Amino acid sequence: MGILSDVPTRSAPHGFWRRLLRSPNGVVGLTIVLGLVFCAMFAEVLAPHNPSKMGTGGRFLPPGGDFFLGTDEFGRDMLSRILHGSRITLLVGAVAVGISLTTGMLVGMIAAFWRGWVEAVLMRSTDVLFSFTETLIALSFVAVLGPSLQNAVIAVGVAGIPFYARTCYSAALVETSKPYFEASIAAGAGPARLVFVHLLPNVLPTMIVVATLGVSTAILAAAGLSFLGLGAQPPTSEWGYMLAGSRDYINRAPWLMTIPGLAIAITVLGFNLLGDGLRTSLDPVERR
Amino acid sequence: MWRFIGTRVAMGALTIWVTTMLVTLLIHAVPGDPVQIMYAQSQGTTPEQIEQVRRSLGLDRSIPVQYLMYLERLFQGDLGNTIRGGQPVLEVIMQRLPNTLVLAVASMFIAIVIGVPIGFLAAYREGTIVDIGLMVLAIAGISMPHFWLGLMLLFFFALELGWLPVSGNGPMNLILPALTLGLSNAAIFARLTRSSMIDVMNQDFVQTAFAKGLPKAIVLRRHVLRAGLLPVVTMMGLQFAFMMGGAIVVENIFSWNGVGRMAVEAIFQRDYPIIQGFILTFSVVVVVVAIAVDALYAVLDPRIRRA
Amino acid sequence: MIMNRLALKQTAAALGAVFALAGPATAEDIVWARYGDIDSLDPHRATSTLSLQVWSLMYDTLLAMDAEGNPVPHFAKSWTANDAGTEYTFNLEGGVMCHDGTPLDANDVKYTIDAAFDETTPSLTKGSWGPITAAEVIDPLTIKLTLESPFVAMIPFLADSFSSIICDTNGEGFGTTTAIGSGPWKLVSWTKGDRLVFEKNADYTNFGKLADNPGAPYEDGLIITVVPEPQARYAALTTGEVHIAEPPFDDVPAIKDSGELDIIVAENTGQNVFWEFAVHRPPFNDVRARLAVAHATDAATAISLIYGDLSIPENCPISRGVFGNDQDFCAQYRPAYDPEKSKELLAELGYSMDKPLETALLVWTGGNRQKLGEVFQAQLAEVGIKATIEIMDIGSLNARVRQENENTEGTTGSMDMMTWSWYDPDILYALWHTPGAYRGYTSPELDAILDETRVLTDPDARKAKVQEAMKYLLENAIHVPLYTPGWEWVFAVRPEVEGFKVAPFVYPIFSDIKIGG
Repeated sequence: MGILSDVPTRSAPHGFWRRLLRSPNGVVGLTIVLGLVFCAMFAEVLAPHNPSKMGTGGRFLPPGGDFFLGTDEFGRDMLSRILHGSRITLLVGAVAVGISLTTGMLVGMIAAFWRGWVEAVLMRSTDVLFSFTETLIALSFVAVLGPSLQNAVIAVGVAGIPFYARTCYSAALVETSKPYFEASIAAGAGPARLVFVHLLPNVLPTMIVVATLGVSTAILAAAGLSFLGLGAQPPTSEWGYMLAGSRDYINRAPWLMTIPGLAIAITVLGFNLLGDGLRTSLDPVERR
Repeated sequence: MWRFIGTRVAMGALTIWVTTMLVTLLIHAVPGDPVQIMYAQSQGTTPEQIEQVRRSLGLDRSIPVQYLMYLERLFQGDLGNTIRGGQPVLEVIMQRLPNTLVLAVASMFIAIVIGVPIGFLAAYREGTIVDIGLMVLAIAGISMPHFWLGLMLLFFFALELGWLPVSGNGPMNLILPALTLGLSNAAIFARLTRSSMIDVMNQDFVQTAFAKGLPKAIVLRRHVLRAGLLPVVTMMGLQFAFMMGGAIVVENIFSWNGVGRMAVEAIFQRDYPIIQGFILTFSVVVVVVAIAVDALYAVLDPRIRRA
Repeated sequence: MIMNRLALKQTAAALGAVFALAGPATAEDIVWARYGDIDSLDPHRATSTLSLQVWSLMYDTLLAMDAEGNPVPHFAKSWTANDAGTEYTFNLEGGVMCHDGTPLDANDVKYTIDAAFDETTPSLTKGSWGPITAAEVIDPLTIKLTLESPFVAMIPFLADSFSSIICDTNGEGFGTTTAIGSGPWKLVSWTKGDRLVFEKNADYTNFGKLADNPGAPYEDGLIITVVPEPQARYAALTTGEVHIAEPPFDDVPAIKDSGELDIIVAENTGQNVFWEFAVHRPPFNDVRARLAVAHATDAATAISLIYGDLSIPENCPISRGVFGNDQDFCAQYRPAYDPEKSKELLAELGYSMDKPLETALLVWTGGNRQKLGEVFQAQLAEVGIKATIEIMDIGSLNARVRQENENTEGTTGSMDMMTWSWYDPDILYALWHTPGAYRGYTSPELDAILDETRVLTDPDARKAKVQEAMKYLLENAIHVPLYTPGWEWVFAVRPEVEGFKVAPFVYPIFSDIKIGG
């Protein structure tokens, strides 16, 4: 046993899965998320109808009967639309978080690793962007790029970068100050080895938790933009857009409002619970 | 303490300075020509006139010169004129900004009044069914899209029951939007209060107090509450920024005449001077509130106060 | 089900009133809620219908329009023109007062026209003054307008609110915070994005505006508020917060059945909603591609789905109520709904279901037009046209359509659901005469026809020319009419409001209103 004994293993912490499956939050969250992934993967098979085909049924058929979740103002099958929407929602969450995570981690690790003026410039810029708030960054992006789902996803992804960069930076700082890290430097390890072998695996658990929780934030933000008309465009069965379209029919067909809203809420809840479960199972730093 | 506040003010000034630069660049990043948009509906405008308007806006100069011109006008309180209607942007924003601030403050009040006691109760009953129940509620609250919550509240209280008015900007109109924003954020406050209280309760001085046999209520009131609420205060700055962001959606649902509704309209209208003005105003408000919250924190936290 | 809901609402509203939660507006103010705000109080600074409607309340015009949309004397009691049709002399009514107490006379008319043609601050609405080159004050009650060339539409132009007369006492803050006019309603305040407050002009004399009331409005005040959500407007109507507002289209049948509110649908709006195309690049530089879209569009089904019977299909490029409109004439030339024909044309062009014709489909926000666009998108998909909807504000749409027309590169098409309202067929000249409002389709042949429509003084001859232009536009699928009216034309009115009516071209009139009579 030497000074390098505190080098953490690269695999998940011992007993991670057991702990995750024991935490009620984690189990419920995992179930919801896996269910969603299932819906998204097999939307074509599961959906009884073409989601953008008008006049599949009559207009405004209430849930139950031939159409399990009813039909919308154009007689499109709501169930099929929701199922296809899950695909969009997951994709939106994944891509947006992908943008935030990769860029944020890059910035955070570079800053923690190189220190000096690189750190100063990167982290001060991050601070400035952070105080801009995510909403404002996202809105500015959409204002410049114009409303579309793709632009909304980019906007939400970019808006998340400062938060991911900060979190990754603090996690990485903890590692670089550990004795084994200094010893590796002393032993002549190159920057690539230090970053990819030591830094990356050790910040990853924290970042996975942050990213899981971040998917829910990203989904909410993108759905919010679509709700305002600044995201998905017709005939996309994006849930936020569907919710926005339901407003004119509140009196006549309240289910057009409740169903997509519920879908968003359950999805977001799933990722929040899973993130919570992961956090307690991996036991990294508390977030927020 | 002054050094701490000084750093925050410098950071805030930096943020605003960067905003002014980004805002100037924004207009160059957009596809299309703002002057052309402005006169898109006009039949009789000659190219010479369009050139003249472009010159008067300084769009024919280099970007650094434009930036200096922008700063110069900014210091004179001139944020330009709107594309639709040619109104002074500053006036258009100032008529609406108070409404957004009122909404954000009211929501913050609701969030704290509901969230903090729930968090405290959960921490007090840590590990019990009460705690678990409250935290499940909180996580559900965080997961609730506020635009959906808003629609449901509008549907039940304004449309079905007709109890609350739906237009205008009076105190009765404030209830639903403030409730929408406040409830979503109460959950965040509840979680934060709980974890912060639990942290404090596990600290040595509290454990010592318990060990000395002081009644739980007294320990909680004397030691835990004050120390435990400090992180909540720090969060208020960030939460305020969230509220301002959330206001954008909520204002649109409830016809609340704030800067958020204005900004969304402006994006659709591609009214860049308003968008620029909105971004600048928003960041100034967020920065000022963040500094105020930090100052409050500095006053409350003895460690910083003495420094 | 719906009846129960309404009953519940009324009970709840009554309950609310007991608790004084939703107090009704003060009895003497008429409250009118609309989805959006005006852009400016200055008639030279905006073009939206929302703005026009407000100007018509606060300003006077030289002429006015009767219920059929024909120009009649108003502030100008009579006029003469020279034989060449290049000089018009107007005799004005005496004793008319601006809201600030100064007299309204020929100097104000000259002031307005000079402002409209001011080079330093180009007016957005200059086109509505025709080819005027000079305004000369002969005496305070006589003004002479000189035209660059003869222009038969000059008279109807002067009857529209775009040509509102501004008092020459307007100065600093005009259009933004203040506006002095001479109309039946006098501006008290404007809170942007929220409300306009007016009080009645007690000294008003109505010479020609469409109202039974010869003088000042009966009610003391008028408040025009902004309530963007249709459902919120509906709720405000049921609680009595608002007297007049556009209801959610889908609730109109229920409202009619219950009788809780009156539904008034504006007539002679002149509004025309139509397809137009970016014609300077493929695919829509080929008339067959444009015809394919026209044949694939079933406007009647689409509008009945979205608007019920509130809108009707329109066959002509200029809508009902405008000089020259003739449904039977246009029906001969308008490409009819015929998906098979459309598929044939697309096949000729080398498109198929597997290789669809791709195009952007631009639509402007509001009034459920995006929903209508969604229906059209589905109809186009049936024949193998893949349309990507883009929703934007009308101002952006105007700019974008022009950009698309100026773009000659690429193979992805662009088409848009454009909307125009004008009180004279001269709109066709503005849209399709070289260079064209959007730099779209033009041809020497069409130019020649349109030039004629501006100078033919004999109504029958002019009508024939206008119809020749429409035939050309329809056969070449340049301007494919879809329906009329298209925006802000449905009003739900509370039962205690009496005397509300809407003048041609969607100008609501409030002078005749009595509340609670």
